[in-house]
Amino acid sequence: MKKNFVQKIANWGNYPVVTKNIRTADTLSAIRSFVEQHNEVIARGNGRCYGDAALAENIFSTARLNKFINFDRINGIIECESGVLLADVLDLIIKQGYFLYVTPGTKFITVGGAIASDVHGKNHHSEGCFSDYLISFKLMIEDGSVHNCSESENAQLFWSTIGGMGLTGIILSAVFKLRNIETAYIRQESIKAENLDQIFSLFEESDSWTYNVAWIDCLQTGNRIGRSILMRGEHATRNEIDAKKRETPYVIKERLLPSVPGYLPSVLLNRFTVKLFNKLYYAQQRQKKTENIVDYERFFFPLDAVGNWNRIYGKKGFIQYQMVIPKEHGRQGMQEILSAIAESGNGSFLAVLKLFGKNNPFAYNSFPMEGYTLALDFKVNLQLPTLVAQLDTIVEKYGGRIYLTKDSMSKNSLTNYLRNVENPKFVSLQHKRILNSTITSQTTHGTNSKRNRQ
Amino acid sequence: MIVLGSNSEVAQAFVEEVLQRDGNLEKLYLFTSEPELAHKFAQHLQVKYLQESEIVMLDLTSELNFSRFERVESSLLFCAVGYLGMGSEEGLYDTKNTTRVLDINFSRLIPLLTHFAEKMERRRGGTMIVLSSVAGDRGRQSNFIYGSAKAGLTAYLSGLRNYMHHRRVHIMTVKPGFMRTKMTEGLPLNPVLTVTPSRAAANIYTAYRNKRNVIYVLPVWRLIMFVIKNIPEFIFVKLKL
Repeated sequence: MKKNFVQKIANWGNYPVVTKNIRTADTLSAIRSFVEQHNEVIARGNGRCYGDAALAENIFSTARLNKFINFDRINGIIECESGVLLADVLDLIIKQGYFLYVTPGTKFITVGGAIASDVHGKNHHSEGCFSDYLISFKLMIEDGSVHNCSESENAQLFWSTIGGMGLTGIILSAVFKLRNIETAYIRQESIKAENLDQIFSLFEESDSWTYNVAWIDCLQTGNRIGRSILMRGEHATRNEIDAKKRETPYVIKERLLPSVPGYLPSVLLNRFTVKLFNKLYYAQQRQKKTENIVDYERFFFPLDAVGNWNRIYGKKGFIQYQMVIPKEHGRQGMQEILSAIAESGNGSFLAVLKLFGKNNPFAYNSFPMEGYTLALDFKVNLQLPTLVAQLDTIVEKYGGRIYLTKDSMSKNSLTNYLRNVENPKFVSLQHKRILNSTITSQTTHGTNSKRNRQ
Repeated sequence: MIVLGSNSEVAQAFVEEVLQRDGNLEKLYLFTSEPELAHKFAQHLQVKYLQESEIVMLDLTSELNFSRFERVESSLLFCAVGYLGMGSEEGLYDTKNTTRVLDINFSRLIPLLTHFAEKMERRRGGTMIVLSSVAGDRGRQSNFIYGSAKAGLTAYLSGLRNYMHHRRVHIMTVKPGFMRTKMTEGLPLNPVLTVTPSRAAANIYTAYRNKRNVIYVLPVWRLIMFVIKNIPEFIFVKLKL
């Protein structure tokens, strides 16, 4: 068998699928020589971003950078290599009474990915992004040298790398702060909202809760548009959990992980099944409001319980469309977005609505801005580009933007917002696509200011 | 625990498996020829399990003097030493490649294993888990230098097991099949026949606890190799395996 590093590869959405050179290494010298020998390099963690972000002509997988380096158990500060999964971090720290300050909807992303995407969670309105708890990281830049980056050291490299989608170099390791917890449980309240107005006012009045997120039925129309369930939560204290759990407050019941065995036929996901799913999901909660104690896995990572859930969208894959619309236009914008989706019939069964708080002005490449954000899954089909273009127009009209970590087909005017990342060595397919469409649109507008990257 | 080839991903996964299941080890010796990676792993174990370990430098291509391992002793040894080298197409007539493959997989490894086997015999107890390969089950045109070294290793382990059985030392031969590791990076592996290092480590741990003698990490390999071993030579010689 001959070695061949050129392989078929796709991120979590299975769209697009490309054939590119992918390598991994664990010694500094091997990583350096990969960087020196290749152009158009991007680092890739666990491939849990959705579109074409972590793909490039030459991909460096951080899979083998999976070691812990230090854990200050007294002050709750951890240092690890960039390929360590948040799941591994949680496994280690929860027993010690710590939790991540910010975690996205899956724990199967790497620490490097969390920085490059500057991930946000259900607590953005109260606690910001991953970078708000990041102390420093080590970055290998285009000449193979390694730089320690923090607010005080190589500050520009620090801030441009945060949310910078890997375009500044390869993150090798990172140091970040952890939060204290008394238990591994969350005190959760679920409240039903019949329409957009109700869910918006629920978000406003839940501002003092640490975690807020809403599941939204995106196929409803008329005065039921925005029908949803808000879930809000706080880390449960020792007194709030029952006596039996109190004996081992940091240990939760292990769940058996079912897994989607293969790609399901994509016809299974259609307007009717999604509608049915949404109806059942909404109906399963009988009362207007319920309160309960759930373990952190169920609250933060419900989807992680199903292995390879991305396969339910079939072989052609799916995209995730996540946008943010500034708060003042949130109501109007969401109304239009949801109407457009319901009209198209291309429903998403995982539609998640959140209210972002103020952004950190230093982290200028981070996606969040104060406003409403909606994340939707769409199966890839022939009509999808039209729907995306339609949604993009609405987002643009209200001054919003698209989350690059999930993007694979949105308009460049909504995705070309990164600063200080121009670097001929580190280029992803996504970045190339965005720049190319910038060039095309500029040319059609009569300007000749092509950006020459080499 | 003594780990030979401690930068191997299976070896590392196995160490973690043992630490998770059995708690901390009194002594952990990490044998390696690449100190940078071994230090990283040692630190990782310290952070994750508060496990102390000692790094022992060993380069099998240059060393045959084992007297400096006098104080290295444990009742459990895991050996993941292995070197694939070049396949027959590129490497058959390259003497340097051949020697290196034979040295690391067999001729210099055997005296080392014997050195630790003797210590276990003296303390009348212990387990040696050694990774051999399915490639040693029958020589195939694609990589028979590596295969023959592993065949030699398998035969050695079989004899050693027989010898040590009466001296209360358990010898386990592990035939991994395909594993997604550094060694196989870039090779087109069939996903059904391939395990991750952590899955392999879990299976090896179970077999170790059950005192198994020879295991294929994925049971399907036993069947595959049964078929391959039993193809008559006059047919086998015509095949391209």
